[in-house]
Amino acid sequence: MNLSARANLNRIFILLVVLSNTFGNFLLADGMNQMPNFFTTSFLSYTAALLANPYFLSGVALLAVWMGAQLTMFTWADLSYVLPVTASGYVLTALLSKYLLHEYISVGRWAGILLITFGSMLVYNTPPRTTPKPQGAAQ
Amino acid sequence: MKWAFVFACVLSSTLGDVLSAKGMSRDDEIDGEVLLGLSHVPRYIFTHRMVMAGVAANAVSFIAFLALLSVASLSFAVPATAIGYILKTAIAEWYLHEDVGWRRWSGVALVAVGIYLLTI
Repeated sequence: MNLSARANLNRIFILLVVLSNTFGNFLLADGMNQMPNFFTTSFLSYTAALLANPYFLSGVALLAVWMGAQLTMFTWADLSYVLPVTASGYVLTALLSKYLLHEYISVGRWAGILLITFGSMLVYNTPPRTTPKPQGAAQ
Repeated sequence: MKWAFVFACVLSSTLGDVLSAKGMSRDDEIDGEVLLGLSHVPRYIFTHRMVMAGVAANAVSFIAFLALLSVASLSFAVPATAIGYILKTAIAEWYLHEDVGWRRWSGVALVAVGIYLLTI
């Protein structure tokens, strides 16, 4: 694979990790808000309600995509690259809260958004892999 | 009690990410035909103990985070566990021998402070 194709694959997976994690958490939170009280419902009824909840199931499916995409990124990128770069999901969550849920964002939170964005960009501009492939990999 | 859950959450998440990264880095880099390369990744994940142990540790971390939310607010839980970014980066440099360098250290520090500011 040439360098440009590799860079594009890296961008696609960063986007996939960030979007699946952010929307997965949103759906999971939404699904859990619709659930009956855990302490006043029988375990079987609670489990049945959980498995019939489309928001919960979609959230779990998206979080499975997130886990798979992040594991796939580890095949070509360092842990110290993947974690800060995909932390931009925190920024997306904050912006979605403002524009979709109309939540107030204080000056401190805007400062946090700027710091995460700047920190993620700083790491994004480093080479994804700094360690050599182990000998006999994937045997 | 809440600090015990923070400790459990950060520790299991760090263990999970380090094991996953170490296990997956032994995989053949997705090369040549992209779709052919990607299609074998799920099989690789489910057939390698180190990767599965990483996934299991991350599941424990998820449960510990839910337990933390039952005794503390989200505005406490998220910044308290953001310290995990620093810990994981330190272990990536020391145990996985990644060349972290000043750019990544600065980036990780900015992200951790940013997460703290975002949730206070």
